[in-house]
Amino acid sequence: MRRHLSAAVVAGWGLLNGLLLAVLAVYGESAMVYWLWGSVVLVLQLVALAVLLSSRSGPDQHVRYRVPDRGAGAVLPTAIGLLLVALCFVYGRWLLVVAVPLLAVAAVMLARGTTARER
Amino acid sequence: MTVAPPAARRDGAGRPVPPGSWLGWVSSTDHKRIGLLTVGTSLVLLLVFGVFALLMRTQLARPDETFLAAQAYDQLFTLHGSGMIYMVMTPFALGMGVYLVPLQIGAPGIALPRLTLLGYWLYALGALTMLAGFAAPAGAHAGGWFSYPPLADSAYSPGAGTDLWIAGVFVAVTGTILMGWAVLWTVLRRRTRGMTMLRLPVFCWAMIATCLMVIGAFPALLAALTLLAVGRADASVFLHNTWNIGYQHIFWFYGHPVVYVMFFPYLAAVAEVLAVFSGRRFFGYRGTALSLLVFAALSMSVWGHHMFATGQVANDYYSLTSIALLVPAGVEYFGMLGTLLGGRLRATTPMLFALAFLPQFLIGGLTGIMVGTPVIDYHVTDSYFVVAHLHYVLFAGSAFGLFAAVYFWFPKVTGTRLDDRMGRWHFWLLVIGTNLTFLPMFALGYLGMPRRVSTYAPFDGFGALNLLATIGAGFLAAGMAVFVVNVLATLRRCSLGRARPAGDDPWQAHTLEWATTSPPPRLNFPADRPLPPVTSFAPLLDLRRRERSGA
Repeated sequence: MRRHLSAAVVAGWGLLNGLLLAVLAVYGESAMVYWLWGSVVLVLQLVALAVLLSSRSGPDQHVRYRVPDRGAGAVLPTAIGLLLVALCFVYGRWLLVVAVPLLAVAAVMLARGTTARER
Repeated sequence: MTVAPPAARRDGAGRPVPPGSWLGWVSSTDHKRIGLLTVGTSLVLLLVFGVFALLMRTQLARPDETFLAAQAYDQLFTLHGSGMIYMVMTPFALGMGVYLVPLQIGAPGIALPRLTLLGYWLYALGALTMLAGFAAPAGAHAGGWFSYPPLADSAYSPGAGTDLWIAGVFVAVTGTILMGWAVLWTVLRRRTRGMTMLRLPVFCWAMIATCLMVIGAFPALLAALTLLAVGRADASVFLHNTWNIGYQHIFWFYGHPVVYVMFFPYLAAVAEVLAVFSGRRFFGYRGTALSLLVFAALSMSVWGHHMFATGQVANDYYSLTSIALLVPAGVEYFGMLGTLLGGRLRATTPMLFALAFLPQFLIGGLTGIMVGTPVIDYHVTDSYFVVAHLHYVLFAGSAFGLFAAVYFWFPKVTGTRLDDRMGRWHFWLLVIGTNLTFLPMFALGYLGMPRRVSTYAPFDGFGALNLLATIGAGFLAAGMAVFVVNVLATLRRCSLGRARPAGDDPWQAHTLEWATTSPPPRLNFPADRPLPPVTSFAPLLDLRRRERSGA
C-alpha cells in the first residue's frame, strides 16, 4: 500500500467525490449533474490506474532523468496554430488556411527534434 | 539519481543558444524558466487588471459619476474579474508549482516539460486574445466573468469581443490544465530517493490537491464555453431552460473549485513561511495533508450554492457541504496557529504577509459560510456583500499569500533579496488598502447595493462607503507601485552585478529547494552539492539539528 500510495491518493480522492455524489443523489438533482460529476469520478479512477501502472512498471521514486528538450522548438508554433484554430470560431474557417500549415510545420519540427539547445 | 546529459549531438537538430537569449526562453524545457515565464506573465497581468479596478473605483467614488460610460464600465469589470481569475491567480498558482515542485521533491526537472511549455504559451496567447477584445468594434466582452446566457448570447452580447473572450479563456484554461497535469505527474512520479509521499512538503500536498481539482473541474469550463459558443451560433439552444440552468451547473462545477485552486498553493506558501520564520516544523502535518484532500473533494460538491437564488438546485445539500468546509479549513488554521505557538518568530517581510493572511482570509472564509446559507444568500446575492467576500478570499487572502511567496522565494530565484524596507512599505499600504477597500463593501452589500452597477443615485446612501473604498484602492495602487519599483530595482541591480548575494539558504528554510544554489542550475542539484538525506517533510531542518547535535 505504501509503495503505491500515490495511486491510492488519486483513487481515494476520486472515491470521496463518488461518495459525495452518492449523498447528492439522496437529495435529488438534475440528470446532467450526475453525468457531469460521475464522469469526473471515472476520469480520476483512470488517472489513478495510470499512476499505478506507471509505478508498477518502474520504481516508485525517480532514479534516472534525461533532459527532454528534443522538439521543444515546435511548441510555440503549435500553440499559435491551436490559437488560430480557436479563432476560427470568431473570424471563420478561412483561418484554417494559416493554422493547418503552421501545425504541419510544428509537426515536422517535432519529428526532426528541432530545438534551441541551451549551452 | 542519474542525470543523462542533453542529447544535442546525437539528435543533430537545433543549435546551442546563449542561456539568456529570447530563443532560449521561448523554447526552454527547463521547468524553472517555464515557471518564471508563467509567474512573470501573471504579475504583469495583475498590474493590468489592477488598473482596470482602479478605473472602476474612480467611477464609483461619487454618486452619478460620469468618469466612465456604462458600456466601458461593464467591459472593465468583466475583464477585471475574468483576468484576475483565469489569467492571474490560477496561472500564478500553477506557475509556482511548475517552478517549486521539482525542486522540493529533489527532481532534476518536471515531467512532461514540452507539454508544460505548451501550457504556458496557450495561457499567454489566450490572455492576449481576451484582451484583444478591446480592439473589437463593439469593444471587449461585457457579460461578467461567468457570462450567463442569455446575457452572453449573440442577441444581448453581439460583436467579436465576446467571441474573443470565449476563445481566449478556452485556450488559456487548456494551457493551465496541461500545466496541472505536468505538476501532478511530477509530484506523484518524479520524487527523489527517500522522498516518500508522507515526506512531501506541505506545498507539494497543496499542489496535489490543486492539480486534482484542475483535472477534475477545469474541463467543465471548456464544456461551458463550448456550450456558450454553440448558443451564440444557434440562439435556440438557450431558449430551453435545460441549457440555461445547465450552463450554470457546468460553469459552477468549475467555478467553485477554481477558488480553491487559487487558494491552496497560497495557503501552502503561507504555511511554509510560517514554519520557517517560527523556526519550527509545521504543526499537524498529516492532518493538514489529509484536510487539503478532503477540502478539495468537498469543494467539488458545493457549486450549487452559487445557484441558490435560481430555486432550481438542491439547496439543503449544497448548504450542508458548504458548511462542512469549515472542518478541513479549521484543521489547516489549527496547523498554522499551532506552528506559530511556541515558535521564535522573525518578523521578516514574507512573515508579515503570512501573518496578515490569517485574519484576513478568515473574514473571507467565514463570510463564505454565510453566503453558503440560503437564507442569508437570498438577501445578499448579487450584491456588494459577495464582491467583498470574494475579494477577502482572493485578495486579502490569496494575494497576501502570493506576496509572501514572492518575498520568500525571490532569493532562491534570483540569488538576492528584495529590499526589506520597501517590502514593509508595500505590506502596510496593502493592509490598509485592502481593508479600507473591501470592508465597506460588506456594508454596501447588506444595504442593498447591487454588484456590477456603473453608478448610483445620491439618495441611495452609498456615497460615503464607496468613497472610502475608492480611497482604499488608492492605497492599494500605492502599495503595488512600491512593489513594482522594488522588483525592478532589485532585478536591475542583479543585471548590473551590484546586488548583494543572499546565499543559498538565507532564511534557514526547511525544504530541498534551499539545498541547491541560488538560482538553481539547469538540472537543479549540481553534482558537487548532493541532496541531503530526506528524513521528513523538513529535511534541511533535520540536517541542521543533526549537525548541531553532532550526529
